[in-house]
Amino acid sequence: MTSLSNDVLLESRGLTVRFGGLFALNELNIDVRNGEVLGLIGPNGSGKTTFLNVISGVYSASAGKISLGGIDITREKAHNISSYGLSRTFQRSRLCLSLSVFDNIALGAQRTLNNGLWHNVVQRKAFAAEARKIAEEARELLGVFNTALPDKLFDPAISLGMIDRRRVEICRALIGKPKLVLLDEPSAGMTHDETDQVVDEILGIRKSLGGLTIIIVEHEMGLIERVTDRCVVLNYGKKICEGKFRDVAADPVVREAYLGQA
Amino acid sequence: MGMIGQHLLNGLMQGTIYGLVAMGFTIFFGVMNVIKFSHGDVLTLGAFGGLVAVWAANALGLSVPLQFIVALCVAMALTAVVGAGISHFLIMPLRNAPPLNMLLMTMMVGTAIREAIRLFFPNGTNPQRFPELLPAGGFNIGPSFFRTDAIILIIAGAASIGAVYWIINHSKFGLAMRAVAEDTETARVMGINFGRIIPLTFALGSITAGFAGMIYALYYSEINYSMGLLLAVIGFTAAIVGGLGNIWGAIIGGYLFAGLQTFVVAAMPSMSDYKNVFAFVLIIVLITWRPTGLLAERGSERV
Amino acid sequence: MTPTSRTLARGPVWPLFVAVAFAAVALTALVLIENQKLLGAALAITAAVCFCAARFGGVAATEVAASENPWLLRGLLTLASLAVIFVLRDDNFGLLMLATVLIYATICLGLTVQMGYAGLTNFAAAAFAGTGGYTAAMLGQQGGLPDALVLVCGGLVAVFIGSLLILPVLRTRGHYGALTTMAFGVMFNVFLDANDFFGGPQGLKLPGINLFGWDFTNDIHIFGLVLSSYVNYVILTGILTALAMIFVGLLDRSWVGVWFDVVRLDETAASVFGLKIAYWKVLAFTLGNFLAGLMGAVYAKMTGFIAPANFTFGDSLVMVSIVILGGIGNRWGVLPAALIVVLLPEKLQFIQEYRLIFYAVLVIAILTMRPDGLVARRVRKLHTEASA
Repeated sequence: MTSLSNDVLLESRGLTVRFGGLFALNELNIDVRNGEVLGLIGPNGSGKTTFLNVISGVYSASAGKISLGGIDITREKAHNISSYGLSRTFQRSRLCLSLSVFDNIALGAQRTLNNGLWHNVVQRKAFAAEARKIAEEARELLGVFNTALPDKLFDPAISLGMIDRRRVEICRALIGKPKLVLLDEPSAGMTHDETDQVVDEILGIRKSLGGLTIIIVEHEMGLIERVTDRCVVLNYGKKICEGKFRDVAADPVVREAYLGQA
Repeated sequence: MGMIGQHLLNGLMQGTIYGLVAMGFTIFFGVMNVIKFSHGDVLTLGAFGGLVAVWAANALGLSVPLQFIVALCVAMALTAVVGAGISHFLIMPLRNAPPLNMLLMTMMVGTAIREAIRLFFPNGTNPQRFPELLPAGGFNIGPSFFRTDAIILIIAGAASIGAVYWIINHSKFGLAMRAVAEDTETARVMGINFGRIIPLTFALGSITAGFAGMIYALYYSEINYSMGLLLAVIGFTAAIVGGLGNIWGAIIGGYLFAGLQTFVVAAMPSMSDYKNVFAFVLIIVLITWRPTGLLAERGSERV
Repeated sequence: MTPTSRTLARGPVWPLFVAVAFAAVALTALVLIENQKLLGAALAITAAVCFCAARFGGVAATEVAASENPWLLRGLLTLASLAVIFVLRDDNFGLLMLATVLIYATICLGLTVQMGYAGLTNFAAAAFAGTGGYTAAMLGQQGGLPDALVLVCGGLVAVFIGSLLILPVLRTRGHYGALTTMAFGVMFNVFLDANDFFGGPQGLKLPGINLFGWDFTNDIHIFGLVLSSYVNYVILTGILTALAMIFVGLLDRSWVGVWFDVVRLDETAASVFGLKIAYWKVLAFTLGNFLAGLMGAVYAKMTGFIAPANFTFGDSLVMVSIVILGGIGNRWGVLPAALIVVLLPEKLQFIQEYRLIFYAVLVIAILTMRPDGLVARRVRKLHTEASA
């Protein structure tokens, strides 16, 4: 493996996360190349979401090293990691439901905005200009979904259906122009058709943004097959296989891991 | 040196009362994730109920031991009914509300009870003398003097803590209670009568308050309408320090708080007015060091 | 097609005029009327009108008109305030009550930032106000410092005392967090009661305010009219309340307000998108405590006397009740709520003795029947800013 080639965006080496005596991740080495869509699959409890949580800083690593774009982020706090160009969605929708769609999406652009008290409270013209800019960008992003979403920009998030909430979450993850986006089970809570629709939309957005790197955790194998360039299979916190979906799916070790689970 | 025994006894007595109160907080929190702040005022209500019962029993010409038994029964029955009533009519309807609303609600229920006693109990604003129902006198060990009634009360308090612990961990009712605490939905599916377990649990927790109120009244021979407020804050503190939902933690927290107070009084008699200030400062430091209590790791918020 | 072409339907303006006029008349009537039966009738009418207005869209129409014409709203409120002050010009007791209501309302605006926006539980608002009051008293004894600075110092010392609590407040959540401020609130009282340096239970006396050479104990002579000296305090507290209202409102309608909400609603999402939770919590805590300390100093100076009994845990509870009663996170709700909680027990003699039980029952009723408060907080819409 040419892990040290300079087109690697995210690199984990010996990454271990322990909860008490349980190894959620065990000595994990994963490379994510610039511009690829990497699928992270494996049975329930194999450590997929833990991996996303540890690289986004929600959990801290017990051992090992993570670097993003060549910068060591292993010990960084969650709120700093986003400034290196990482953003994500969550398995269970984490929109602030009592806030408007606009407020939720603005959160994704937080680090590009001026948070000073003086700017926010006194320089209202400058603030309004900023708000206008975000609103335009948000409308544009929402418009990609080819729905009535741009018109709902100032509606409360709670008034949206499940699929629209997921779309808003994706917009929130994208508006900050990240280099790497983590999608944690984008199909969760949606019907098969809705999932297909959202996947097409994600691919469409990716095309329009040009070569965004994505890590996607998913149970829906059809989705993985359609969108990923490469897959990593986890089981009990360890990497058991890596490669194109077709090859991975045919691998006897992978089959055993899934069947053994079932 | 003679003071040491005195301080020890006093500390144990206070610790027992605090521990009992904290245990109540823990029971409520364990089952419903609720801080029932009116707990201290339910305690006051129990003590006043006991006082009325003693008056009535005295008027009927009952002997002192009988007066004692009547007072204890009335205090416990009254707190049980009030506790169950509060849970049924005020806490249950709010159980899906934000924790802050619930906390405020129970604080206000406590205020209502406290004010009702002050306003409607004859001469309620002033402290009331509580008759001595336990044998007076005491004995010396070395230079220290020990009050007989204090020894009896500490033993009774410790025994009641043990009894409640037994009920929770070994009785059938305790099993149902713990099942509801663990997972309300599953407990319901398993056929546990949710609508009955909750008020009964609150009755049990409130009985401990009634009991603690009687211990307080008998030991200090004086009760007043506002005594429950500080006891509630201290009991809540003890429960928090132990880690909410952990019975042993609550009891340890209770004795710890009493120990801190007693230590300040014993070591710096001139500062004894500040004993609660010191105790609270230490508690704040402690909670900063261990934000979810000394023993338990259970958060008070559901994610 | 362009977003700006979707012009928002502008509502009529008259509901705003009616609402402000009604509020002014009702307020004046409630303060002026002494006869208990008449007062009861006035209260009933006010309640009925408010109920009908809420029921038949009057409140909503007023809200729309107010948000579309912020400067008209501010102007009308100023005019109405002047009218109320003119009518009440020699009613010392009424003016004192009004100033007290405004002080409570402003402290509760601080609490709104802390509890309603950033989600910090604070059960020691009265203790922070007391800190400001005692600061004013101690500085007053030293003398030398102009009163404007004394008041600001009241706020700053409250912030300082609050910063000692910041570590436990940041590290604890939920009920554990409630404990730290509660313990502080109780401790504050126990400490002052026991401490002779701060006057013990009897408290301290302090002189009235003298702002930029104007002594607040003087009556105001203007256009041949004589206004009671208490008008000074009503004007001062009114200006402070208005400033705090505008500040908190702008804060809410800015990124800072959005970030506060996100920190309250979902710390994980907030930090993943780059918000430093501790910073925003410290900011909210500081702003709220400053307002409490500042207004505590004004209160102490106004009453000329400060004692531990004015700043008990019960008073903190009353302040939290005002916030919940008004509708947590809604800054406008604070005004009527403070009015009900502070004014009613003063005016209704039969309640006075029973005021605490009255609060208790009122809050219990609100929490069970209308948990969002009198005026529930609306979803923030930054569309006026974002599509001008």
